[in-house]
Amino acid sequence: MVSVYKGKKINEGITGSWHGVEPRTVRFSQIIINFISRNLQNMGFFFHVGKYFELMLKVFTKPEKGIMYYRQTVREIEALGLNSVGIVFIISVFMGAVITLQTAYNTENPFLPSYLIGLGCRDSMILEFSSTMVALILAGKVGSNIASELGTMRVTEQIDALEIMGVNSASYLILPKIIACILIFPLLTLFSMIVGVAGGWLAVLFTHVITPTDFVYGIQYAFIPFYITYSVIKMVVFAFLITSISSYHGYYSYGGALEVGISSTRAVVHSSVFILLFNVILTQLILS
Amino acid sequence: MIEVVHVSKYFDNEPVLKDISVTFERGKTNLVIGQSGSGKTVLLKCIVGLLDVDEGDIIYDEVIFNKLNFGDKKSIRKEIGMLFQGGALFDSLTVEENIIYPMDMFTSMTTEEKIERANFCLKRVNMVNSNHLYPAELSGGMKKRVAIARAIALNPKYLFCDEPNSGLDPKTSIVIDNLIRELTEEFNMTTIVNTHDMNSVMEIGSKVVFIANGMKCWEGTNLEILHSDNQVLNDFIFANSLARHVKNTMKN
Repeated sequence: MVSVYKGKKINEGITGSWHGVEPRTVRFSQIIINFISRNLQNMGFFFHVGKYFELMLKVFTKPEKGIMYYRQTVREIEALGLNSVGIVFIISVFMGAVITLQTAYNTENPFLPSYLIGLGCRDSMILEFSSTMVALILAGKVGSNIASELGTMRVTEQIDALEIMGVNSASYLILPKIIACILIFPLLTLFSMIVGVAGGWLAVLFTHVITPTDFVYGIQYAFIPFYITYSVIKMVVFAFLITSISSYHGYYSYGGALEVGISSTRAVVHSSVFILLFNVILTQLILS
Repeated sequence: MIEVVHVSKYFDNEPVLKDISVTFERGKTNLVIGQSGSGKTVLLKCIVGLLDVDEGDIIYDEVIFNKLNFGDKKSIRKEIGMLFQGGALFDSLTVEENIIYPMDMFTSMTTEEKIERANFCLKRVNMVNSNHLYPAELSGGMKKRVAIARAIALNPKYLFCDEPNSGLDPKTSIVIDNLIRELTEEFNMTTIVNTHDMNSVMEIGSKVVFIANGMKCWEGTNLEILHSDNQVLNDFIFANSLARHVKNTMKN
């Protein structure tokens, strides 16, 4: 079937070669195939992968003047890390509270001991929420911040000005961000774990779904310290992904405000997708 | 001295610069003029190495710049000062920090020496007492002057200015033009200025190169430009009716 919009056939090519298949399926599979083939034909995917690794080679070179990089790293720790404490606190405390309440309402079984609610809150926070969820939130906050900052520097020729001076702009601008995030994000994860469990405890305290004593017993029960290591390892990888992918999009921005906005959006989307992908890979590698 | 020898540049197989050869002399304000889209900025970016040339050579005082590796290019770049169209000041740094930045990066000067040098540069561009302002607090003309101060902070041998008068009123433009000329003569720099402002051409153009459609069409001085027979050049510089009237009056 060919749809007509304002006198133009808008999906003529889509159904043309797919006789006998459900129209909805045709449209979706065609879109996927078009997307993949367009990227492969234009070598778009491989082009970006190559360019990303080329940028990383430029980033990981010997700094021109260590003290300048050190100062820049301290600045980035404040801008990207310490300024994110607030949002991590809010998200973690509410996440911990909601996990506790949902677990409580879904396990109203007399055969299940009530302290399992505390255990569920602790393990959910440590294993998944404090690393993956916080990383996704930080991909939005920090990723868009990095991409828009570098993108604006690119379109206002500030990066060109650095290059003209003889500064390795990629290394000077991106390396301190990567180091700062790798240092500070695991600490935010640990902070999120503590605050999340505290959020669960507060929920118990105010709603009386179980006794606070049972909850505290639950969070101490069958504790496996390696889960914290696992979570921190994941966050280190996520920190690198967020900063490097966002920097890549920002550094290669061009044009004006519109393109910087597009780069910023792409940075968040691509960082989030790679966080989820690496979450699966790392879980399989570390916990299996 | 900077020599551009048979330089060509292509974007997607489309020629943007076609076999350009020109010499820019030391101690002179060399102007590159031409319409928007004629290839002036591409030429300037090729000269400073922000774009690679596809054919030909860029020679800085007998050193072929475009054939150097990254490290060797860096040593020449430390002798380059550049004024960008929008100033390109670092937003997160104050005026003083902007000027001190290249000294921080490439010298081992003490803090006092750096501040003293920054104050000297600011005084030279008439921006005294603006040390602690941020770029967002400056007007367009002030940004350009601070950018010039940053460009001369390391006492460069080469100064490049990409449309220094864009967005400025005629009076401020003349102030910037004269500043560029004075600094060029004072520090004996090789200065190349990209512009399409005829006031600048008449004010400071000790050597003028005219580019049209990526080709060099004319070169001479600001005095010779008014008497040129080159039709393309005349169409460009006498584009408005007032200029044509002046030209006809001069002829008569």
